[in-house]
Amino acid sequence: MEEFVTPLVDSVLNYLGDAINSLQEFLSPYLPEASLAAYVAFAVYTLIILAGAFGAVLSRNLVRAMMGLVLTFLGVAGMYLLLASPFLAFMQLLIYVGAVCVLIFFAIMLTRNTSEGEEARLPGFSALGYGLLSLVAPLAVFLPLLISRGRDLKTKVPEDPGTGVLGEGLLREYVLPFELISIILLVAMAGAVFLAYRGYKPLKGGSE
Amino acid sequence: MSPLTFFLAASLLLLAIGLAGLITRRTLVGMLISVELMLNGAGLSIVAAAKSTEASDALGQLATLFVMGLAAAEATLVLAMILVVQRRFGKVLSSDISTLR
Repeated sequence: MEEFVTPLVDSVLNYLGDAINSLQEFLSPYLPEASLAAYVAFAVYTLIILAGAFGAVLSRNLVRAMMGLVLTFLGVAGMYLLLASPFLAFMQLLIYVGAVCVLIFFAIMLTRNTSEGEEARLPGFSALGYGLLSLVAPLAVFLPLLISRGRDLKTKVPEDPGTGVLGEGLLREYVLPFELISIILLVAMAGAVFLAYRGYKPLKGGSE
Repeated sequence: MSPLTFFLAASLLLLAIGLAGLITRRTLVGMLISVELMLNGAGLSIVAAAKSTEASDALGQLATLFVMGLAAAEATLVLAMILVVQRRFGKVLSSDISTLR
């Protein structure tokens, strides 16, 4: 048994290795220099992002759409890891998956907008047409630009400088945007409380 | 072709899909989900551009952090608006609240 199986496995592995090598040789004039693992990771993250995005846009059930959104967030976090910024990947998980998705879930549940809500029907014919147009238009505008300009772009391999650089930037160079974003967050929270609190009073005469 | 092109293509796909969802969704909650998709594409493109060119590394990462903060603020406000619209109209169809009155 052994002397029969081992050469078979060896030949299959050899064949696979040859196939991968020839594929790499065939693609190498068109692809940038990077290890095969990076390409595999990028392809997996892209697939995750695309699956999540299409689920988020096409699903008739809003809870499923939100789960597609979570999948997209996870894929983008993987992209951040691939770009050597692990802090951003962590923040992506904390802010988007932890906070924004919970807010969206609250919105879905407070409006009772689940499987039998208004979103369960298919969009109208004209809405589908406009949706297709708005799917194609950004690609048609930016993809040729990206390909033509990206050819002679000078790029470098991303490297992680650590979070110390970020802290220095927040407190020294970009301190004004930092303070502004805290003011914006405060105003947004106050506005949300204001909007939601006024609604508790019964409306009289329908004039409000 | 550089790695930057692939990352930018991925973020461009996020933008296009999010825009299509924003158009086709009927309710405010679905539109909020689509807007979050587009904001994610924006963050990804900023980080990719700053990381793989000679631009400042801290600038790119901090800009994406600011985008995340803005997305959180926007989601909070939209949640409050959805509550108000739900109380007034009983549903959150975007076609119902299209009159300025």
